[in-house]
Amino acid sequence: MSMLSGKTAIAGIGATEFSKDSGRSELQLAAESVLAALNDAGLTPADVDGLVTYTMEKNPETEVARALGMGNITYFGRVNFGGGAPGAVVLQAAMAVATGVADVVVCYRAFNERSGRRFGAGVQDRGTEPSAENAGYAWYTPHGIVTPAQWAAMTARRYMHDSGATTEALGAVAVAARRHAATNPKAWFYERPITLADHAESRWIAEPLRLLDCCQESDGGQALVIVSAERARDLPQKPAIIKAAAQGIAAPTAMMTAYYGDDIGHLEEMTLVADQLWADAQLSPADIPTAIIYDHFTPYVLMQLESFGFCGRGEAKDFVRDGNVELGGRLPINTHGGQLGEAYIHGMNGVAEGVRQIRGTAVNQVANVENTVVTGGAGVPTSGLILGADG
Amino acid sequence: MTSETSSSSLRPPLQASEVAIDDELPPLEIAIDRTFVIAAAIATRDYQDVHHDHEAAVKRGAPDIFLNILTTTGLVNRFVTDWAGPHARINKTAIRLGMPAHPGDTLTFTGTVTESADGVVTVSIDGTTARGSHASGSVTLSLSAVADSGDQR
Amino acid sequence: MSQDEHPGLTREQLDPFAGKSCGPSRQSRDPIAPSDIRSWIDAIGDTNPIYVDDDASMATGRSSVIAPPAMLQVWSMAGLGGTSKSTTQDPRKELFALLDDAGFTSVVATNCEQEYLGDAVPGDWITTSEVIESVSDVKDTGLGRGHFITTVMSFTASPDPLGDGELIGRQRWRLFRFAPKNRGSGGQAGGDSDRPPRPRPAINRDNAFFFEGTLAGELRIQKCDSCGTLRHPPSPACGACQSFDWSTVAMSGRGTIHSFVVNHHPQVPAFDYPLVVALVDLEEGVRFVAEMPDTDREDVAIGLPVEVRYRKQEDDLVMPHFVLAEGSSQ
Ligand SMILES: [Zn+2]
Repeated sequence: MSMLSGKTAIAGIGATEFSKDSGRSELQLAAESVLAALNDAGLTPADVDGLVTYTMEKNPETEVARALGMGNITYFGRVNFGGGAPGAVVLQAAMAVATGVADVVVCYRAFNERSGRRFGAGVQDRGTEPSAENAGYAWYTPHGIVTPAQWAAMTARRYMHDSGATTEALGAVAVAARRHAATNPKAWFYERPITLADHAESRWIAEPLRLLDCCQESDGGQALVIVSAERARDLPQKPAIIKAAAQGIAAPTAMMTAYYGDDIGHLEEMTLVADQLWADAQLSPADIPTAIIYDHFTPYVLMQLESFGFCGRGEAKDFVRDGNVELGGRLPINTHGGQLGEAYIHGMNGVAEGVRQIRGTAVNQVANVENTVVTGGAGVPTSGLILGADG
Repeated sequence: MTSETSSSSLRPPLQASEVAIDDELPPLEIAIDRTFVIAAAIATRDYQDVHHDHEAAVKRGAPDIFLNILTTTGLVNRFVTDWAGPHARINKTAIRLGMPAHPGDTLTFTGTVTESADGVVTVSIDGTTARGSHASGSVTLSLSAVADSGDQR
Repeated sequence: MSQDEHPGLTREQLDPFAGKSCGPSRQSRDPIAPSDIRSWIDAIGDTNPIYVDDDASMATGRSSVIAPPAMLQVWSMAGLGGTSKSTTQDPRKELFALLDDAGFTSVVATNCEQEYLGDAVPGDWITTSEVIESVSDVKDTGLGRGHFITTVMSFTASPDPLGDGELIGRQRWRLFRFAPKNRGSGGQAGGDSDRPPRPRPAINRDNAFFFEGTLAGELRIQKCDSCGTLRHPPSPACGACQSFDWSTVAMSGRGTIHSFVVNHHPQVPAFDYPLVVALVDLEEGVRFVAEMPDTDREDVAIGLPVEVRYRKQEDDLVMPHFVLAEGSSQ
């Protein structure tokens, strides 16, 4: 069991509105969401001494600190690999707090990902500067594999082939997300649920992925405030205790193109994260009444349910049937609507929903949530969290 | 041969007056499973491995084993006589072949009367799965087995 | 492009085949047995009583139960391990060889037509003969360019194995023998000049050997000098033994599809869509991704055999792609 379990908590969450065109700079989105999270925690910018974000984040720590008038920052760090990072930034913050390197660490992620540079537009213009990262793309971009959906579709096809999962199983994930978004006023798809037929009729993006298998592209910002569990108890919000936080890179792991292992439909890095989380929190799937499962592409939700042992290998296609992952089912997932329904903020909005479920303040609140799982992006070097109620 | 249907309970022949152009046949839905594909292939004496051996089918580039054509023809005829009854006599079945049908697929036949004259009826049929058209074409039949063909061997 | 490559066979070449018999007629090995009919109706789910119930069949005006008409060809099927087709001189072999040589290597059955002229009944022996009815001129279809071949089987039935049968039906089969469609992959040297080239790979010290290989028409993969492990994508060291010493070996270029995507959106101007890209298990044991620009999405499946081809993209750059291997069509 890691020394970190139970030592720290998420004491504040804050976000901008989620939209397709924010109408303001990415730095403003970052500053607004950080300030909102601090207000939620009952703290001020002057209290902050740590900042953690993603390597893909374009808003420097210096600029965020300057915009909000923060004082001395004694810890700052970044995590690589895009959507794999939401649990990892919390892990870094928690380690900094637990070791006394910093007392109040803010994690943030903010972008105009829809109105500005869209990830879904592809990396065909990446350039040929001879870095290892660019050389890695040499096996895909010249062949027309340039977008996250295309990278994901290759793995998804093989997973579906091996597990027998059909379009209907993918549809069940999309329907659940949109049902939850439909009752979440913050969600882009508020009051716009879909049916399995809508899903099956939506246009191809990269077969076997349809439009409604793919998350949105969004403008917005989300921030989290991490302090010690002890300090969190004195702050206004009910603490979401960080019972476990973990990262994972396994032997076959790659950035969306883990095509070379024995079983490419099995997310070894996510299994590595899950095993650490269960061990550190001393919990099992039976203890989890609701979870936030990173939903960039619906097939990866199925794979992650298997990684975490919510169902057996190859059985997720049956597990998601009959509304089992919707409110009222065995394991409602992504009760905020997920990235399919609420917004795509690189998974950070999912961490915030995990916090709300522990506080008991989610719009789609599940009863008696003592513990919840939050996962990072799947098919990439990734991370995850188990958040729990105090005591 | 054992008698399982008493002739008195036999469906009366479908009368020409009961058939009109554009009439739709009751659809026939076949949930295809592995047992069906294999049993039908063997019953039609088709031992090509793609109709019973999953690994061989995959090796040859199919996602799974698939229905053989003689089975499709049998299903088309069944679909039509299910509607027309035992008195009817099929004269000709012509189908165009489309996407293969695999275990897990649901094959749905629909049909429409396109011609009807002197007790001879032509039905256009479509057999589709989620993959697209599996078979389409037409079946010509005489509503009464004796009226038309004169074949009474 | 495919028109120049596959002009098709001439009438002079094709006409001699029309009307030719596909070998001597064949008699069923056994007379029609009620149990065979029973197996068939059980499998097909046909509840028409005229196939199993004499009384019911007679009530419809027939003399007895009849064999299901759709079983017409069943009686002549060779059965497990059957060899009926290969023992005799069959002009189809000659025709197919001619078509193969002309580049029409793929085959698909397109039509099946059965005409029922009389009823077969239990106890009947069925005799089958087959002729080539016609071979079409070269046609362009969605699948590609090729020739349609139509054959007609005739079936006679007789209660006496030595007796002259009565014609009970015909079956007309149409096959399409074709060269899969070339969809004009863009971005090639000599291709249309408005079109931007495909994205160039970033080439560095670790992967340059690969692109030197494609210039030489080889698919080169790294091999550890110390332990012999093949590795792809390239790496400066061997994960199995940590050796930094390596050389390359040329792959055969043959493999099978492990997975594939069909890209629809977004559309990068350098490519034609829908675009098939495959993850291929090379027969030497490493996996490799490449596009299949000349392959229709309907023709691709996991497990299909493929072969590598090369395309000059720029003066100093040749890129590999895959095509379906011969004989892999359903
Ligand atoms: Zn080695």
